[in-house]
Amino acid sequence: MVIQTKGTARNTICIFGKKLFIFIASVLILSTAVFYISRLAPGDPLVSYYGDRAEKMSPEQREWAEEKLGLNETIAVQYARWLENALHGDFGISYKYKTPVVSVIGERVGNTLLLGGIGFLLIFCLALLLGIMCACREGRLFDSVVCKIGTISSCIPEFWFSLLLILLFSVNLKWLPGSGAYTAGQSGGWEDRARHLILPLTVVVLGHLWYYAYMIRNSILAEMRADYVLLAKAKGLTKRRVLYRHCLRNVMPSYLSIMAVSVPHILGGTYIIETVFSYPGLGTLTYESARYHDYNLLMLLCLLTGMVVILCNLVAQALGERGMNIR
Amino acid sequence: MENKFEIVGIRPLPQGEQEWQKKRRRSRNIQKSSVGAFLILAVIALGCLLCDWFVTRDPGYLDLQNCSMPPNRDFLFGTDTLGRDIFAMIWYGGRISLLIGMAATIISTFLAVVFGALSGCAPAWLDAVMMRLAEILLSMPALPAAILLQAVLGEANALSISFVLGITGWMSIAKVVRSEVRRIRECEYVIASRSMGGGFFHVLWKHLTPNFVSSIMFMVVMNVRSAIVAESTLSFMGIGLPVETVTWGSMLSLSEDAMLANAWWIIQIPGAFLVVTLLCFTNLGNCLRRRMNRGQSNL
Repeated sequence: MVIQTKGTARNTICIFGKKLFIFIASVLILSTAVFYISRLAPGDPLVSYYGDRAEKMSPEQREWAEEKLGLNETIAVQYARWLENALHGDFGISYKYKTPVVSVIGERVGNTLLLGGIGFLLIFCLALLLGIMCACREGRLFDSVVCKIGTISSCIPEFWFSLLLILLFSVNLKWLPGSGAYTAGQSGGWEDRARHLILPLTVVVLGHLWYYAYMIRNSILAEMRADYVLLAKAKGLTKRRVLYRHCLRNVMPSYLSIMAVSVPHILGGTYIIETVFSYPGLGTLTYESARYHDYNLLMLLCLLTGMVVILCNLVAQALGERGMNIR
Repeated sequence: MENKFEIVGIRPLPQGEQEWQKKRRRSRNIQKSSVGAFLILAVIALGCLLCDWFVTRDPGYLDLQNCSMPPNRDFLFGTDTLGRDIFAMIWYGGRISLLIGMAATIISTFLAVVFGALSGCAPAWLDAVMMRLAEILLSMPALPAAILLQAVLGEANALSISFVLGITGWMSIAKVVRSEVRRIRECEYVIASRSMGGGFFHVLWKHLTPNFVSSIMFMVVMNVRSAIVAESTLSFMGIGLPVETVTWGSMLSLSEDAMLANAWWIIQIPGAFLVVTLLCFTNLGNCLRRRMNRGQSNL
């Protein structure tokens, strides 16, 4: 499926429209699937709204409560109503927090973006650096040590690594805080935020770094064996110049597209790390809402995550096509 | 002084020889390390299978007098915050952890082979649709998807969790199977078998599978690994198996209490077993992959 992008402006609009259509269709399908799955799951959503009182309710009270929350109708009707409201920008209220879902998420999204965004940038840059360094020293001690560390770290579950770090740095040494995003009582203060970010960030970065560094290393090594490198060398270019001006340039498009695909995976990893560190982000929120059947909240969270996934895939596809055209 | 000018012939190339030797040494090293990995894995697996013979304590017994005891002579690996003996739990829990890894891999491999082979044999448009579907599923973050599915199935047990992990982990194998099947399906022996009336599953099992099994073996071994990781993560978060069902993951779900008691053995011993097992699986998988690559380069 190679799309010619050499065409006119009309062609571009056409492609853009097609992508937009795919995006909207995927989001719709995703929302239907999540809606049905979450409602078919066993469990009592009234518990999340009324707490323990839900168990003592009489049948009439239950009926009234279900009607109030709109849970007494068939799933299809509920979905239609949800969709209608959602199109008007109303995503309902969270059963647990009793405030509009959008504001609940709005409070937390910054924290996740901070953790995920900084983590992603660090992974992106450090992997590139490490990959180049390994490729330059192919087969030597540095290279083999980095590759070995990569193999070992891929076997360490992220949650266990976080536990070890908490045990070491916050329980035993008491250097860094082990949970939360800021000290309770005194919110704000960049220093405080940064101190709380260090441990989760370390896990995010060290968990993913090696894989991408290894990938960069391998693609640079494959590139170094191509014929044009020989030509460039014969022309008298230095090794460094060949590496940065030619090899890296060819590696970049595929690296960028792979990094775009990996955004959701890094995000998914962040969710688990957030729950271990009880970091108030979208991860802990998703976990809570799935556990307590907070339907409206779960819907919007899944939609947001899904939209990021789909968007990243579209970007990756576009980058891949561009890369092919350059070749 | 007759032979003043000695005929030396072509200068031997020390560099090439060295490289050849290095390669040979490296391949020997790989085999050595994979034998080591295999041995460690065998010890762990045998220990888990035969633990009825040498473990004297009941892993579910709550010895409330001896909560959070550090490792000593009575309790080799100490006790956890509920007073259970960690040494017994490691072996009994390993049973379920390894079982889930295996069961999930069997389910996902079966799905992958059927889906991949169907897609490989299908007409082009259906193939495109099926592969697009696989790609969409592949791009979803695996663990959140598993959590959602597990929520639908309700209370988790070993079987349901391996089912969930099986149906969230087949896509990458299916893609390899599909491309291999597309390569093989035009071969004479497949056509011959079909024209003699061989059904889809007959052709798949007798002719296609033997040809692509070597190329997916590495991914299958890696799949065991990721299933074990996923199970332990889910159990740790309290979504997977409950604390009463002992696995390496659910043992770690007590970590919060352990942290308060500063009991490193509750966190580090099950985790160490987990990591060592995973390392062994990785090593075996890498060995399989290298062997496969070597076979290809000889062709």
